[in-house]
Amino acid sequence: MRKCFIAFTSLLFLFLIASRGYCSDPMQQLRVTVDKVIEILKRPDLKSPDKEELKRKLLGEVISERFDFQEMARRALARHWRKRTDQERKEFVRLFRKLLERTYLRRIEQYSDERIIYKEERIDPPYAIVKTVVITRDSVEIPIDYRLMQRSNDWKVYDVIIEGVSLVNNYRKQFDRIIRSSSYKSLVDRLRKKVE
Amino acid sequence: MVKHQRQGFFLFCFIFVFLIFFKCTVFAEDTVSHEKDYLDEETITTVADPLEPWNRLVFQFNDRLYFWLIKPVARGYSMVVPEDFRHAISNFFHNITAPVRVVNCLLQGKIKSAGVEAVSFVLNTTGGVFGFHDFAGKDLKLRVVDDEDLGQTLGNYGIGNGIYIVWPVLGPSTLRDTLGTIGDGFLDPVNYLELENAIMVHTIEFTNKTSLHLGEYEDIKASALDPYIAIQDAYIQYRNKKIKK
Repeated sequence: MRKCFIAFTSLLFLFLIASRGYCSDPMQQLRVTVDKVIEILKRPDLKSPDKEELKRKLLGEVISERFDFQEMARRALARHWRKRTDQERKEFVRLFRKLLERTYLRRIEQYSDERIIYKEERIDPPYAIVKTVVITRDSVEIPIDYRLMQRSNDWKVYDVIIEGVSLVNNYRKQFDRIIRSSSYKSLVDRLRKKVE
Repeated sequence: MVKHQRQGFFLFCFIFVFLIFFKCTVFAEDTVSHEKDYLDEETITTVADPLEPWNRLVFQFNDRLYFWLIKPVARGYSMVVPEDFRHAISNFFHNITAPVRVVNCLLQGKIKSAGVEAVSFVLNTTGGVFGFHDFAGKDLKLRVVDDEDLGQTLGNYGIGNGIYIVWPVLGPSTLRDTLGTIGDGFLDPVNYLELENAIMVHTIEFTNKTSLHLGEYEDIKASALDPYIAIQDAYIQYRNKKIKK
């Protein structure tokens, strides 16, 4: 009886530990990435304009570890995604990624001198949301939420919500409008003109 | 007897393990289920925009106005007035509109927030020297998460956006939020000054506010493919979120 109890308790612990480890991941993973981004933005040796390209490259590497651009593109194009060929999708992800990196970096760059607080994470496998707050110098609080998705052992960001405004939803509305009022081709042209 | 006990024990174990196994999901159900919006992969926030051609014109007008007049003025102003000063002025205007927030908290049944707003007002007006210093918020950490206004109150009562409207100078709004802004205007003490003075004070308020947010509009424009739609959608998402709170 006793043996049985011990066996059961250890089993229980095992499950608890396993589920804890599984549950506590996304915030930690996100924090590592955001810290890395801010570190690069603050590096004095990358501040000069001629280092801009190197800086972009480093940032791109760090960000692509955590952000799932294909998922973002798929969600932003929504029903229009299904009609695209593999080639078109690939090209679209490439262009959209550039735009998103720029948008996100511009935002986070402004906040790099401020305090970022990781408030809470909620997990509903395979989804998770990590709520952060940026506190500016005059103590205005700007909530930034990250939506993440589990990909094997990693959590990948598929949407960033700044002050209640979802980036992906915002682009979805713009893309849908442009495609419906003109065409997919003109959307890609506009996107290309914007980032290249 | 012993056999029964053992059977019971195993059943207990089984249920327990079962529960633990599903703990994550069950637990998550409680906390996340009320915002399952991540499952909506294709939702588009919509607002009726029958005035779109007109709104786009006003949007263009505001864009020019911003770059040709408002921005240079705010820039000049920010060079003359130090940032700390501008924050103090912003605090002052935030403080005198406390009645708007208190009333709207009450109208939404947020008694505690109403209390916090009222107490902050008293503390900031006295300890914060006429509200120039955010004594309650900064020193006492007494803060309401969300500034309430009449537009949100109406939304809270179930009144929809109506139609999207872009106002000259003032920018994006909806029919509901416009009514809200007008209603709130009655609780803004500045509007009880003589007309000329009121306009002057509002101009200072507006310039001061713009000087603290230079670059934000430029950022939105730079990251948008259709800035009109981007700002319309951001406005609607932002307001919907505030109303939900």
